[in-house]
Amino acid sequence: MALVCVAVAILAAACGAGGGSGRNAWPTPVFVEAVTQAPLGNRETAYVPPRSAPALRLTDQDGRPFDLAGMRGSPVFVYFGYTHCPDVCPTTLADLRAGIKQAGVAAKVVFVTIDPARDDAAAMKQYVDYYQAGYTGLTGTAPQIAEAAAAWGVSYKQLPSDSASGYAMAHSTDAYLLDADGQLRHHIFFGAGADLIAKLLTEVAGP
Amino acid sequence: MTSVTTRAGGTTLHTGTRVGRAIARLTPVLAIALLATACSGGSSAGVRITDPWARTSPLVAGAGAAYMVIENTGSAADALLGGTSDIAKAVEVHETVDMSSAAPIASDMPKASTDMGGVASPAASSGMTGGSVMGMQKIDRLDIPAGGKVELKPGSYHIMLIGLTRELVAGERIEIMLKFEKAGDVKVTAEVRAK
Repeated sequence: MALVCVAVAILAAACGAGGGSGRNAWPTPVFVEAVTQAPLGNRETAYVPPRSAPALRLTDQDGRPFDLAGMRGSPVFVYFGYTHCPDVCPTTLADLRAGIKQAGVAAKVVFVTIDPARDDAAAMKQYVDYYQAGYTGLTGTAPQIAEAAAAWGVSYKQLPSDSASGYAMAHSTDAYLLDADGQLRHHIFFGAGADLIAKLLTEVAGP
Repeated sequence: MTSVTTRAGGTTLHTGTRVGRAIARLTPVLAIALLATACSGGSSAGVRITDPWARTSPLVAGAGAAYMVIENTGSAADALLGGTSDIAKAVEVHETVDMSSAAPIASDMPKASTDMGGVASPAASSGMTGGSVMGMQKIDRLDIPAGGKVELKPGSYHIMLIGLTRELVAGERIEIMLKFEKAGDVKVTAEVRAK
């Protein structure tokens, strides 16, 4: 089994080297499950080896075009959610803020909405500004968001609701950690907590 | 005990007579005695709330969340039905559910447990690994068995403060009146935390 994984990894790496910008250029799944450690529990998975992050070109909270490639030079967390998310998203964004502070590393956070119908640039601006942590909030047209989510392996769907709060969105709740070279290094599950986030960020940032 | 204190404390007698003062002193005791008598006939109802807190929330979010541990100290099953608060237009009980098993997400919301388990369901088309997909649903009643307790926490059950009338700021305290099927209205003072 391990041999198969390695073989797939090598093949994918070879394919990835010539990969273009479109998401169709993505190679066969290359993913080796690893690094599950007590006592923090199964809250993250490492990309071994690291791989280039998918493209992410959307509109930021100030209405300007955004390209993730422009963030090279510092570690970046990428997280997909929505502003009307009262539980999972603010928990994760607060954990990221605490983890980054704990690590003492100048990392960036990119929050991508999967609810573009409600989250226009103005809404994203109000939301990220609230955290006062220099977060970037991204939105786009529904097709643009769908394309970005697909490229990143993010699932989402509007749920039927009988709540006074309107509809909720089901969505992938993981954060991605990229190193300063734009390589995907870790996939962090919901509930990882600030301690694990700080540990991974410290490792990725290097000495 | 909370309801007893409230009832006794709510009784005020303004009188200058010595007898009046004596009655005033005795009133809480009488109230407790009367209430105890009333309760002794059947099953008692009561809840104990510990560590109530609400997360700071921007207005654009439309809703905030509050968490706490609710213990049913009564001898009968009780249920949290909802509540009211001055800081929100509506107060509901919601549950965050793991929907990872339903990938792609089915149109019908599955009644999933909140077990996250760190399961990664591959999003095969992209070559990326999708992790846990979580959704949220309103629940009409949160059952708490007699002597049992339920923890409202991130990624699980939570109180939804819908239509915030103002922004929640870390350090302040907000009041929520929770409505229980048996224990009735229970006032909770929750600290707002930025976490």
